[in-house]
Parts: sequence; structure tokens; C-alpha cells
Amino acid sequence: MKIGIPRAFYYYSYPGLWECFFRKLGHEPVVSSLSTQKTLETASAQTETENCLPQKLFDGHVLSLIGKVDAVFVPRIHSIVKKHNCCPRFGALLDATRAGIARGVRLVSTEINETETPLAKTLLTLARTNLGADRKTAKIAVAEALKAMERHHREEVAGQQAQAGKQKYLLLGHPYTLHDQFIAAPIVDKLKQLQTQPELMTFGDNDKAPGDILWCVFDKMHHKLQNIDKRLYRGVIQITTFNCGADSMMAERFRRVCKQKGVPYMLLMVDEHTDKAGLDTRLEAFVDSLSWKDLPI
Amino acid sequence: MKERMAIPNLGNYTVALASMVKGMGAEPWWSTYTNDHAMALGIAAAPESVCLPFKAHLGHFIAADDAGVENALMVNSIGACRLNYYRGLLEDTLKDMNRNIRVFGLGFDGFKPPVFRYLDPPIIPLLRAVFLGLEKVKTIDTIEVETARTRAREENTGESSLLMEQCLRELSEINNKKEVQLFHKDVPGRFARIAVNKSREPLRVGLVGEVSLLRDRQLNQNLEQVLGHRGVEIRNFFLLGGEIGNNFGISMGYKQQTAKQLAVVARPYLESEVGGHARDSIAHTINCARAGFDAMVHVCPTGCMPEVSIRPILRKVSGDMNIPVLELSFDEHTCALGMVTRVEAFLDILWARRGRGMKTYSAGRSF
Repeated sequence: MKIGIPRAFYYYSYPGLWECFFRKLGHEPVVSSLSTQKTLETASAQTETENCLPQKLFDGHVLSLIGKVDAVFVPRIHSIVKKHNCCPRFGALLDATRAGIARGVRLVSTEINETETPLAKTLLTLARTNLGADRKTAKIAVAEALKAMERHHREEVAGQQAQAGKQKYLLLGHPYTLHDQFIAAPIVDKLKQLQTQPELMTFGDNDKAPGDILWCVFDKMHHKLQNIDKRLYRGVIQITTFNCGADSMMAERFRRVCKQKGVPYMLLMVDEHTDKAGLDTRLEAFVDSLSWKDLPI
Repeated sequence: MKERMAIPNLGNYTVALASMVKGMGAEPWWSTYTNDHAMALGIAAAPESVCLPFKAHLGHFIAADDAGVENALMVNSIGACRLNYYRGLLEDTLKDMNRNIRVFGLGFDGFKPPVFRYLDPPIIPLLRAVFLGLEKVKTIDTIEVETARTRAREENTGESSLLMEQCLRELSEINNKKEVQLFHKDVPGRFARIAVNKSREPLRVGLVGEVSLLRDRQLNQNLEQVLGHRGVEIRNFFLLGGEIGNNFGISMGYKQQTAKQLAVVARPYLESEVGGHARDSIAHTINCARAGFDAMVHVCPTGCMPEVSIRPILRKVSGDMNIPVLELSFDEHTCALGMVTRVEAFLDILWARRGRGMKTYSAGRSF
């Protein structure tokens, strides 16, 4: 069976996991192609207007898969990290997709609730009951998939190693904004063009004790900021998307933490822009003003 | 002198909250709606894309601080929605503005709420005040339901609204549970004395959505009255009495379905809890379609995380069960005209459905 995986939301929260998992079970995973302006335009015509940008992109990816695959994989996610929760959108994602853009399309789904069931068990149930795999294949697939995800997380962290003697710019955001071709890629490219070294926030570490923020990504970011070393980082850039409710609450808080730590902070909001000139100007101004630090006075 | 305590608006229910706060040994500072001035203050001070109820809270507390109020009380939650983080951001913002007002959370903040630790009210007057407050909540439930019923049928437009205000004013003066009970018994009779056109068959419309928008008439631009004065009998699905009764398993007069029962109703469309009152909105819409309501109005602040994410589901329910749903998002508008135009167009369509016999009046008891 051809199973479509939208390249959005949970694809980035579990990097490398889903392709490996479905392949090992004998299915053909089809990941939708990288987000473009076109993805967004197709989605905007059909999706709920008040949705946040990542949700619109998700809808666009689902739309691009419909017709090309036998089923689309859309889980219902309550928590990705133990004792934390997710944005309410994730809880309604499956039912909203079923009722909205993917009406009448076959969906493969499962309920991910790390607080109650560990991921391995969830995957096993998905393989055994929903996809009808035998016990042995299922177990192998789960083990391999989890290993693949581990590897991806390790590679991601290794990829962020600092060049000697250079201060980095920390990019904050959800996994699905930081790795999205439409949202963050132009920002990362621009920063590289300006001869700076951007570091994307990584989310592989799930062993931290829960703080007072229940949204798991934000708890990790908050933790990172509280332990930030201002000698290693020149500045923090938070990438937020239009109408993201969680960001609107947390950006203010992160700004305060950065101020306390003495690290410059900038908030960049991305929406359905067709042109990147605004982003360019703000990034250049931010990097320029911070490069004055190097000048001898 | 007693310290003063600002309480956020929960519409008319603020009357009941005020008497509870009085029992804690503080002087309440309240109104039944966030006024224009407070809204302007909140909008100016809040981060740009937070939701509207946050701005209302903030504005209300800044206005309170200006008036020299020392404390503020708010309800906080542990859910997945933004309300969970309101208090932290409120405190930070107020501190940045050099405001000294203390913000207390009530509910889900540990065994003994800090506000009790701070004010340390004696236990018996406190309990008495809580029971008095609950009695008032029951009374306000009745006032709300009666107002909605008579407003759609009254001969002289505006009479029910005036009586409602009158009742609330009188209720806020009462400090004795027995007297509240007597007053409560009197309420239906007082509304019955309003001259109504008995032959009128008003549209029946259910209001679902986000709580502060359903209750604060400044935030929803007086939606209830706009609908009521155009001959619509509304059923607002946030009655605090029913809600408290369900959460604490006590009898509060108005029985409504518990969260569990609503979950069963919503199950064919939404299998999990989303946060806020999103699942309830779906369940109430299904219930209303079965009970023969003419339509639903779904209200939420712009970008509300749970309510916006269930809109596709709501649209499916609307199509499947043949019940029109008007989705209204409210933001920092200073004029209600846009909303009124949309509501009028919607009502025209509903009347046309009646006219063509696609829908008939069904006079069931509001549940």
C-alpha cells in the first residue's frame, strides 16, 4: 500500500521515523515534496482562513498527496514528550482533516499520547491492528524506526557543531517551522549569506524534568535559553508564524529571558509573504548592528 | 481598611463572584463587562497577537491598578490552550509597566489557593460566602434563561434587558442566602409580567464557543441583545451554574449534560478532547440539530486555538445534520456594525427557510 506522509507537523517532530516504519512493514511511504509558495496557494483556497501558517501548509501537503496514494497518514497527537502536552490543534488534527480537506480519503491513523503510552507501544499497536502486520515484522519495524529517529536526532545535533572562534545565532521555533522549506529556509540561507553561523534548535532530548511550561517544544526552548552561554551565542532569532497561538504567549517570555541573560533577541514573523525583502532587511539590520560589537572602540 | 480585589468579567456572573470575594475579606472591584477604556488599555499593553480575552483581562487589571486596587483574582486552567499561561504573562507585563497589583490564580493552583493563604479568611464566613455565591449563580442562570425567552417575544423592545439589569442590581445588594432564594422564586414571575406577543414564533438559535466571548458583552459586541431584538430566542450554552454543577457533581438548578455525556454525543465527529470548550461546541451543535433549533452561532476570539481548529468539523456537522452555523470571530473592533450586518444576513436566510417550509417552529424546552 502507498502511504502518504504530509511533510509538515509530525513529520518533523519525528524525523526519519515514519518513512522507515512504513517501509519495514512492507508499505511504500510517499512523503510530499518540500513546501513552496504553490503548496500554500493550493491550501489557502480551501482551508479555514483563520488557521496558522503551518496548519495551512499541512493542508497543502495533504492536498498534494490526495489521488497519488492509497491512504494518508494523519495521527491524533496529545503529547510528544511525557508529562507535556501539545498545541490543541494536534488533538483535533485527525478529525478536522477527516471532516475538512481530506473528506472521503482513506486515512491511516493512531493516537499518540506519550504521557500514557510510550511511542514504541503506540507504533506496535498501529502496525498490528491498523496495518495488519504480524508480530515479528511489527517488532522489527518499530525497533528500526526508533533507531532511525535516534540517528536523525544525532545527525542534527552533530550538524550544529560550531566553527572554531565564531559566535552563532540561535534560531528558535517549532521543529516544523525550523525545517520547513517555505518558512525557515530563506532565513537560514540569508544568515549564511551574511557570513554568520546559524544554529537550529534541536529537540531530540526528551529526558529533561518538566518545567512550568506544558507545551513540550517551548519547555525545551525555555530550558535552552535559561542555560544559554552569551560567549557562544551572538543573538537569538525566534521564528514565529502568523496566528500561532502558542508563539504569541511564549515569545514575550523568551524575550524577557534573553534580556536577563544579556543575549540580543529578535522576533521574526512569517506569513504568506510572496517576497522575502522584508526578512532580508530585518536580518541584515540585526546582524549588522551586532557586528559592531567586534569593532575596537 | 479592607484591601480591594479586582475580578475579571464573567458577564453577569461577576455579580456572584463579587459576593464570594467579599466573603474572603476583600472589597471586590468589578463590573459585568470590560468597558471601552479598559479594552483600550489592554490592547495597548498586550503583545500584539495574543487572544482577545487576555487583552480584556490585562486592561481590566490595569484599570484596577489605576484605581488603586491592590489585588486581582483570575481563573487559570491546566489545559492545552493559552489560558494556562495567562497569569505568567499578565504578571510579567504588569511588572514591566511598574504596576504593583498582585495577580492571584484561583483553581488548579495547589491544595490551598495562594489567595487564601494571603488573605487568610476565617473559614465559616468564607463558606457562607461561597454558598451565597453559588445561590446567586443559580439565580443568574434563571435570569439569563428568562431574559433570552422574553426578549424574543416582548412587545416593547428593550424591556427584558432593562428588567435583567434591574434584577442584577437588586441581586448584587443582597447579602443573605435566604433572601437570594426568595428573590430567585420571584424572578420568573417578574419576567412573566412583561407584555409579550404570544403568537410569535421566534427563531431558536444556540450560542456556542469560547466562554469569555459568550459571556462578556463588550467582547461579543452585545451579540445576545442583537439577536434577541431581532426576534431570536437564544440558548447560550455557557450557564455557569450548570458548568459548576457538572464539574463538582452538585445540583445547581439547571441540569445540563456532563462533559462525559457530551463526549459521547460528539464522538462520531470528534473522538478526543481538544481543549477549552471545543468538544462541547460540537456536541451542543449536534444536540441542537436534533432538538429542532433553527441555527447555531459559534463565537470565538480571532485565532482561538481550540475553537478555530474544530471549525472544519463544525462545518461537516452543519452539512450532515442540516443546521446552519454562523462562525463569528471577534477581535479589537470598536464598532459592532460588521457583526450586525452578518447576523442580519444570516437571520434573513433563516427566515427564508421558515417561509419555504424547509423548517418549522419547534417549541421544545431549552435544554
